[in-house]
Amino acid sequence: MTGIEVAGAWISIFLTICVLSFLYDDNPVYKLAEHIFLGVSIGYGVIEIYFGVFKPNLLDKLPFNSDVAWSLQSVLTFVPLLLIAMLFSKLVPKYSWLARIPIAFIVAAYAGVKLTGELNANLMTQVAQSIPDLGAVWAEHGFWTWKADGAGVFSSLFLVLGLSACLLHFYFSAPQNRAMQQISRFGVLTLMLSFGASFGYTVMGRISLAIGRAQEMLGLDRNPEQVAQINPKLATIVSAALVIGFLIVWRRRQGDDYTPGN
Amino acid sequence: MKLDTLVKFQHMDRRWIFLGMGLAILLPMLFPVNLPFKVDERVQSLYDAVEEIPAGSTVFISADFDPASRPELEPFFRANLHHLLRKDVKFVSATLWPSAPPLVLPIFEELTAEYGKEYGKDWAFLGFKDGKELAIKAIGENIPETFPQDIKGNKVEDLEVMRGFKQAKDFAMIINVSAGFPGTREYVLQIQGQYDLSIASATTAVSGPDYIPFYKAGQLNGLSAGMPGSAQYEKLVFPDGPPDGVRLLATQSVNVLNVGHLFIIVLIVLGNVAFLVTRQAEEQA
Repeated sequence: MTGIEVAGAWISIFLTICVLSFLYDDNPVYKLAEHIFLGVSIGYGVIEIYFGVFKPNLLDKLPFNSDVAWSLQSVLTFVPLLLIAMLFSKLVPKYSWLARIPIAFIVAAYAGVKLTGELNANLMTQVAQSIPDLGAVWAEHGFWTWKADGAGVFSSLFLVLGLSACLLHFYFSAPQNRAMQQISRFGVLTLMLSFGASFGYTVMGRISLAIGRAQEMLGLDRNPEQVAQINPKLATIVSAALVIGFLIVWRRRQGDDYTPGN
Repeated sequence: MKLDTLVKFQHMDRRWIFLGMGLAILLPMLFPVNLPFKVDERVQSLYDAVEEIPAGSTVFISADFDPASRPELEPFFRANLHHLLRKDVKFVSATLWPSAPPLVLPIFEELTAEYGKEYGKDWAFLGFKDGKELAIKAIGENIPETFPQDIKGNKVEDLEVMRGFKQAKDFAMIINVSAGFPGTREYVLQIQGQYDLSIASATTAVSGPDYIPFYKAGQLNGLSAGMPGSAQYEKLVFPDGPPDGVRLLATQSVNVLNVGHLFIIVLIVLGNVAFLVTRQAEEQA
């Protein structure tokens, strides 16, 4: 590993501790890490888009380049350039209406691309799947199979009934008699089960992120040679000491004016 | 438990919870425990689908993740590459996420060198392409036109590994390592149905529930969700444990995840008990 790579690993650990300091309270070292993150992300994104998209797809194809001949195709590349320029007309209120043309173009193209995919893959296929062949399900899985994550007639029926109840819960034109209220309650129960599963997965994702950072701080995600060079545990202790020391000084300086942000 | 304690518990400083969570993550890492876990059907299907690819075939890997999703997806990404390379399956990779190339290229170089694979002949990395769904549509139609040059500046149509491969459907399988948008959902919506593609997906835990219906409908032939999915895939790829020099990061992390989940469950139960008991006491007062 080069010296820069080792320094990069130390900076990464230091910034992680800075971000984690937000758990104590909003503070200047957290803000520092936040601003560095934003600045680097935007800078990286701009460079990546310029050299990866804008230059090869547009600038290099303009007939001003010596290796691009003037032809109908090369002249047509002025059209996207013009559309981009029109987007910037938003900055001049008098001509801001010009920006509507490229925006309309973007919205229309995007809607067209999205619509076919949504209709075919997300609506038709999923609707078809919500009407299970109970005979085939019974033959394959029976009433319930633990090995196949609960597949079986019970799950298939629950899917159909739960889906129907959810749809009826959002059907507001029917009179809310006792039967509808019971169906609606079952729909809400189904929705709660779904939200609970999503919440569980989200918690898992967030803990996984914390595990990832902890692995880096303890040097568990690197091979032994790299760990010997970087010494991530030392970097963690030094960074934590620096950040905690700063927080103590910062908190004392605030004195009685301190109001917790969390 | 006394009522006062329960009232205090409801109003305690949330920083104690952060500290508890931190300890729940750090302690099992410093003092590892090995709890068993089973492989679920979706990950098994993914493994089986890769296992069925004949040697010498070529797959397309769309590596659509970033540093934030690295802990969840890199273990799958590595295990999947081990799986493909030891089966002698070639691969062409690209990404729709601008922050992915610096993450994935070193892994490609490390693992292909380990298996003695040659760039251009056995594998290629085409780099990043913006355009999101439009880029996916273009991958479905014409890859050399979408990616005229690879990450090293070579013409993509001249690469040996790309000979006979013009569009997504020419590949034995599309493997999408997806941290969100654009990713698996967009691959399924834009090109899976149109070209009847075989797509396997490894995704973050947050996206997992959204993609399960795609798997159930046969639009995905396998799905690995989050760190547990990666750990299960590692278990299938390395049933006898990791070879020398290979770290199974997700397998190490699953136990930590279990302790973290237990901590959250205990808090939810205690929080609800405290709420119900104090409400009852307030009503009686």
